[in-house]
Amino acid sequence: MSPTPKWKPRGEMTLLNTGYARLDGPDKVTGRAVYSHDVRLPRQVYARLVLHSYPRAELTSLDLEPARRIPGVVLVEAQKAAGDELVYLGDDSIVAYVAAETPEAAKDAARAVRAAFRDHYPPMVTREQSLSPGAPSITGRGNTSGARDRGDEAAVDSALEGAAVVVEQVYELPIQHHVCLETHGHVVDYDGESATCYASTQAVSGSVDEFARNLGLPADKVRVLTPVMGGGFGAKFGIGLEGAICCLIAKKLLRPVHLMLDRPQEFQMAGNRSGTWVRMRGGIDAQGRLVGQFAEVDRLGGTGGGAFPLMPYIYACETNAARTRSVHTALDSNRAMRAPGHPQASFAQESFLDELAYAAGLDPVEVRKVNVESDVYRRHLDVVADAIGWDAHPNRTAPGEAGADGWAEGIGFGLATWRAGGRPGCEVEVRITPDGAVTSSCAVQDLGTGSRTLVAAIIAEELGLPLSAVTARIGDSDLPPSVGSGGSVTTGALAPALKVAAHRAREALEQRLVPVLGAEVGDYEWVRGRVRVAGEGDMTMSFGEVCALLGNQPLSVRGEYDGSLDADGSLHGAQAARVRVDTLTGRVEVLDMVATHDQGIPLNRLALTSQINGGMIQALSYGLLEERVLDAEMGWLLSDNLESYKIAGPKEMPRLRVILDEDDGRNLATGMAEAPVIPGHSAIANAIFNACGARLRSLPFTPDRVLAALAERA
Amino acid sequence: MAKRPREPRESDPQGPDLSRRSFLVSAGSAAAGSVLAGGLAGAATAAEAQESTDGRLAGLVNVRLKINGEQRTVAVEPRTTLLSTLRHRLDPALTGTKEVCDRGNCGACTVLVDGRPVYSCLQLACTLEGSEITTVEGLGSPDDMSDVQQAFCDKDASMCGFCTPGFVVATTACLAKHAAPDDATIRHELSGNLCRCGTYPHIFEAAASAASKSGGRGR
Repeated sequence: MSPTPKWKPRGEMTLLNTGYARLDGPDKVTGRAVYSHDVRLPRQVYARLVLHSYPRAELTSLDLEPARRIPGVVLVEAQKAAGDELVYLGDDSIVAYVAAETPEAAKDAARAVRAAFRDHYPPMVTREQSLSPGAPSITGRGNTSGARDRGDEAAVDSALEGAAVVVEQVYELPIQHHVCLETHGHVVDYDGESATCYASTQAVSGSVDEFARNLGLPADKVRVLTPVMGGGFGAKFGIGLEGAICCLIAKKLLRPVHLMLDRPQEFQMAGNRSGTWVRMRGGIDAQGRLVGQFAEVDRLGGTGGGAFPLMPYIYACETNAARTRSVHTALDSNRAMRAPGHPQASFAQESFLDELAYAAGLDPVEVRKVNVESDVYRRHLDVVADAIGWDAHPNRTAPGEAGADGWAEGIGFGLATWRAGGRPGCEVEVRITPDGAVTSSCAVQDLGTGSRTLVAAIIAEELGLPLSAVTARIGDSDLPPSVGSGGSVTTGALAPALKVAAHRAREALEQRLVPVLGAEVGDYEWVRGRVRVAGEGDMTMSFGEVCALLGNQPLSVRGEYDGSLDADGSLHGAQAARVRVDTLTGRVEVLDMVATHDQGIPLNRLALTSQINGGMIQALSYGLLEERVLDAEMGWLLSDNLESYKIAGPKEMPRLRVILDEDDGRNLATGMAEAPVIPGHSAIANAIFNACGARLRSLPFTPDRVLAALAERA
Repeated sequence: MAKRPREPRESDPQGPDLSRRSFLVSAGSAAAGSVLAGGLAGAATAAEAQESTDGRLAGLVNVRLKINGEQRTVAVEPRTTLLSTLRHRLDPALTGTKEVCDRGNCGACTVLVDGRPVYSCLQLACTLEGSEITTVEGLGSPDDMSDVQQAFCDKDASMCGFCTPGFVVATTACLAKHAAPDDATIRHELSGNLCRCGTYPHIFEAAASAASKSGGRGR
């Protein structure tokens, strides 16, 4: 048997490299898919957390008795005791939890909990509060951490003496939320000896130990089920304090416990993308080449460290330096969110480079080409510049002016990078029964990316079967293990294991064919549900007839990750945006966005397009609308639901175009979750400048900020 | 930084309680009663709404609803929303209708009430006596999907799928209203719904495709 299978050339694929509908589509569009929120078990109780709404406080008294008297309430417990400190706004705000027969009774009980607090002033929810002289230390360890100096700032300054243009500016990004439509939470069904946990998680296999530890059970007595989940985007790895409390309640009551955050709680404690403050100083020479760049970065990850990649971001600049640190606020820690740190770095770097290009009177596309090392970027820039109509655009080296109606139109660009491929950790079982039923199984979760469908599709491709002939089983920790879904690794980790398992299954079937058809293993072709000896005319046997050769013994093979089947190195990408700006009102309308990314084998063109669309849309939303707002005086989270924390809806949608990279020669698997979310808002900011000369140096690009930037230009 | 006295401040764990329920309670039992009277007038004779000793409304009301073609009598509290009724008061529960914001922002809980799309999180069940409710489950099943549902599958208009039921219902309502909607009409009719994964372009395609297939019959 050949030890290392290879992917077929793309042109010979019959299912992969085409676009095909998801297997779970029918369940999702008819409301039959059962998410953790939807689990209804006999004797189930509804649990609810009770949160304080101010970041830093001492709990001075807590009275649970009024809550316990509410009819239908079965449990009210304290999470904090009188005298305890609440250190930050987030899961540390949980003072109590309740469980009741109905969600309404649980809400009543949560409201009936009487608590009094001594709130500490100032609330310490902004960078300025944390850095002000004499500011109280939020966690007792100082309000900054992780300070790191790289490179020689003085060397940058002397390099800048030879620059044609030098720019120094500050760029700011607010905290963004994941806004998973299914909030965080779980249903834990514990009977004293074992447990089934219906978890809304990005890591089915990885959650078992945490549930087990909190339930006091051995791991083999815990089963985690996540057949579908309503979005994660990086926020749903651990089981969270809500998961630990859910386990506690389940142990106390020996009844299934349904504990889901409500939307305001989700905004308060379920994670975010760190905010950022960046000062950039640098310059380019007459040809547009960066001669020196210095970046000073404050990561604003609440009590967490925040995320930010190395600067310069994507572009090459030999003489560079960076000073980075975390500035802490009394807010919940940032969590991973699609390409942690990259959209922030993209905004600072792409805006800065754009400012330099226009200051020197150069074409910003040409300046980008000069400063990238990889030809892939130059190719990608050409693709999106062509699609967006850059060559025909009137103002390519200086911003335009508004027409008589006050509207101005412009184009902007941005690049993306991420790590290609997966890593070890996935195993797959393929089982084929003598009646021809094929099942492919892996514990892997499907966050909406299409992994369930991939679990069947790679097997179907190998065996020449239609997708519908393979049953996919996923989202169950009793199945062969999977990596968690983070950092775009799922496809790169899963696809090789699927390919290896499929290959072994095919060879095992071919062994049965040797005495029947005479050819050696490896010399068969599997097409359209039939098999033949390679190169010979007619398809000889149906797939069902081949499976019948198994006798009464089902075939079961396993596959594991093989690093020769997924891409390594880097992913690249470029995006362009065309916008319209109403210079009278400051309103920005995105008209058109184009993306191209080198995706290796397009394993499902339809799902891949959805994924890249989704990246562009989330970046558009980040750029135009999203901002966590806290009242700096009162410490309250003001943006705690979707009327105050806006995300893009149907009316904000531009024309969106995904141009799959047919010239990416890597015939290998990789994911495409992070890269497409990185540059869209940067391209939009640059397009706004190109349209009307308004340089937006902080997100989101709301009308007031656009008008202020226009005033600055004038 | 603005000045503020550094005195200790006492506050409630959830801040000012501005919920619909607390409004009804704080507005006084007479006002609350009058709000609910409209709903109770046509309600089942077994209506049990009453005031408990602390002045809150308690007890259950029987409401007759025709849900997905089936006549049901459901016992709900006066403050129970249609969304909660579908998800929690039926056996088996109808969980296709999703709770996302519970505040009329996102459209994930959209259902048809007498053919009209409504946010079920903003409707009290007891005000809907005799109404006909159609949820996403009532539009089709995996083996017998409506044109809209089939188009959502074909165009990959669903990713995580949590917003999908609301969009399927809203699209169905859109096509019932417009035989051949143009792109702007589709966007307008769906603008009460939000998706986070970013499926909008494929949803628009699905809506247009279903419209051309069903000739505006909305199924």
